[in-house]
Amino acid sequence: MAESFSSPGIDLPSPTLLARLGELAVFLAAPTAGRLTEEQRALSLGIARRLVAAVADELDPGIDGDALWRDWLAAGVPAAERLTTVCFARAEEHRWREYSAQRVTTPIPLEGVEEEAPVASDIPSDIDRAYLALQIADRRRFDSYGNPCVAPADVDTGLFRALLLDIAAWRLARVAKDGKLAADLGEAVRAATEGRDAGAGIDRAAKAYHDLLAGQGKLADAATAAITRHDWVTVIALSAVAARRPYVDTALALLSAEAAVLPFLLAPLKLDRAALAPLEASLALLPGRAVSGGAGDE
Amino acid sequence: MSERIIHGRIDRSGALVSADAPLLRLQQRAGAGIGKPLALPHLARLVALAQRLQRDISRPLYAADDHSDIHALVRVLPDEEGANLEISDWRASAVTVPQMPPVAETAVRPRSWSWECDQQLRVVALREGRDAPPIPEDWEACSLSELFELQPDEEGGFPVLRALARQSSFEGQRVRADGSGDARVAMVLTGEPLFDATGRFTGFRGTAIVEEATQSEPNHVPNGGALVDPAFGSLPLSDPQFGRRIDGALRGPLSRIIATAETISGQFDGPIRADYARYAGDIAHAGRHLLGLVDDLADLQNIERPGFKAAADEIDLGDLARRAVGLLGMKAEEKGIRIDAPRTDDKMPATGEFRRVLQVLLNLLGNAIRYSPENSQIWIRVDREGDRAKITVADQGQGISSEQQAVVFEKFERLGRTDSGGSGLGLYIARRLARAMDGDLAVESAPGQGARFTLSLPARDVD
Repeated sequence: MAESFSSPGIDLPSPTLLARLGELAVFLAAPTAGRLTEEQRALSLGIARRLVAAVADELDPGIDGDALWRDWLAAGVPAAERLTTVCFARAEEHRWREYSAQRVTTPIPLEGVEEEAPVASDIPSDIDRAYLALQIADRRRFDSYGNPCVAPADVDTGLFRALLLDIAAWRLARVAKDGKLAADLGEAVRAATEGRDAGAGIDRAAKAYHDLLAGQGKLADAATAAITRHDWVTVIALSAVAARRPYVDTALALLSAEAAVLPFLLAPLKLDRAALAPLEASLALLPGRAVSGGAGDE
Repeated sequence: MSERIIHGRIDRSGALVSADAPLLRLQQRAGAGIGKPLALPHLARLVALAQRLQRDISRPLYAADDHSDIHALVRVLPDEEGANLEISDWRASAVTVPQMPPVAETAVRPRSWSWECDQQLRVVALREGRDAPPIPEDWEACSLSELFELQPDEEGGFPVLRALARQSSFEGQRVRADGSGDARVAMVLTGEPLFDATGRFTGFRGTAIVEEATQSEPNHVPNGGALVDPAFGSLPLSDPQFGRRIDGALRGPLSRIIATAETISGQFDGPIRADYARYAGDIAHAGRHLLGLVDDLADLQNIERPGFKAAADEIDLGDLARRAVGLLGMKAEEKGIRIDAPRTDDKMPATGEFRRVLQVLLNLLGNAIRYSPENSQIWIRVDREGDRAKITVADQGQGISSEQQAVVFEKFERLGRTDSGGSGLGLYIARRLARAMDGDLAVESAPGQGARFTLSLPARDVD
């Protein structure tokens, strides 16, 4: 679209105008597709900002994260395309969990059905500890104010390195040419990249939990229980490992899936069709979901 | 843990011809019944749609009666004669549970930490706010009471323990936590309970705010001033009221859990599914274990109190050994274990507190039964060596290596055993009791050759 704009004067079109035209072009290409809601936009932006600040902090705690983000917002976020999926997936997952939690009700026991009580264990089992580690990895995906974020440990190495380099470039440009600083920043990028324990976050915790369950033949039961409890983090984590996909991809796949596709997505967990009902219901009730054919299936 | 499905059947004319109880109740409250047209407009529309399209459809279902709002997921399966209904995820009484409180409620505030723990009070999140003391390292998965040394309130209670029993929110729980350096920082905890979609309590989430300094209670207190047990962290075991409080708070609920679980497990109120009965049996077993742990903790609190002294009763170790065998004989028989106890004329007069010595012997004999192979033998012998009266319990179990013997009397030492057999406090308590009676408890063993535990007490001369 930008190419079709002919400026009457010598000025180049502003980034704002280009963005508007781009938005219109996207709309015209798919007029019936649902649009990003304000809530989705705000959540995704906030997550991106916190991720950039966290990576900047790993590069150099002295970097002014607010100034960095202001500059990037004005000029455009360098790694925008690579950030999009990870931030949108985290935002949608957060939205799902929030809406799901708001709908949580106290169940009334049905007549003639015995209430199942959790069985206490005397000593934490390996599975119990792995589940605890998964919870801890998940809670690291919130900042100190309880806002959702993406932990640097959960970002793939390519994006992490791209962000480091972009932030280093911004820092260099801000303090003008300084040979020593450039060398220091280069060294910091190298150290941050090499010292990073890739995949140390939720993917590793998910794999540990999944493998222990699978080893004891308890995978389907645990996944079914997680669906019943609306423990969506565990559901995503187990299905991600079972399907050998990253957590973030699986979250996005589930959140954008038609109801009919869910059994296929979760097929590696070998669940009863009936066990998927609460999952289907919860997703169906999430407004503004990016399913094919519209912004939500209800 | 399978999802409960409520079934119903609609005929070609749209009348409800059969329904499980919840669906039928809803139909009746809407003024209809069996054989009458479906009186739930939303559901009726879905049925008509499925019949028109002649394909299965699944949709969220909203319905309401004069009691509650109903949220569920319905699957309509049309056929030639009508349609089948499968309703799942049935939830009533829309009560919002504070699973995800608004950010403002749980967000970390200046000079505070925000925290979250699971239902076993293990910390899963800890974050520091602006100007707050740095959070301790290695907080992950440690217990809330390890992280925060709980302080009793003015009534001598612990708000967090009360809230745990009631699964309710709490505030004003005064604690001390590690600050920078060696200093301890005084904080106040507040917390909200968390529940999952099945209504199960899943933990607490809250804040820990630095307590403002007062003249009488400075923020920072020296580490040495706290009543901290090295094994229990913040549990104030030296507080004489602690045992009574934990006893009262836990024993009643646990006893009720065990009694109910045993009733279910025994199917006294009629048959239930075998796996449910097994679960109930597991609950009863776990409950009994917890009750034992409460006993052990109460004992521990008691014997670790400065100045603890056992009574000096005139006892006969032979008699006590036979009493212990009488109490645990059935348990041994279940494993085909034979106990060779002192004969009735085998007497060994000694000085010690009758019930405490019996407690030690029950612990030793219980361990011997637990760790002996089936169809083996246990020996109990009494004899005297100088001014010491001795009783020895020997088994044919796998034995204990010399490294393990060095730690077997430590708190929570279970020699790598991961079964559900005990709290790891029994032998520690037994030795403390023996020493409180001017005696001792020792072990001799070698791998593969069983273990011999010997309790020695002051011998008593009888004319």
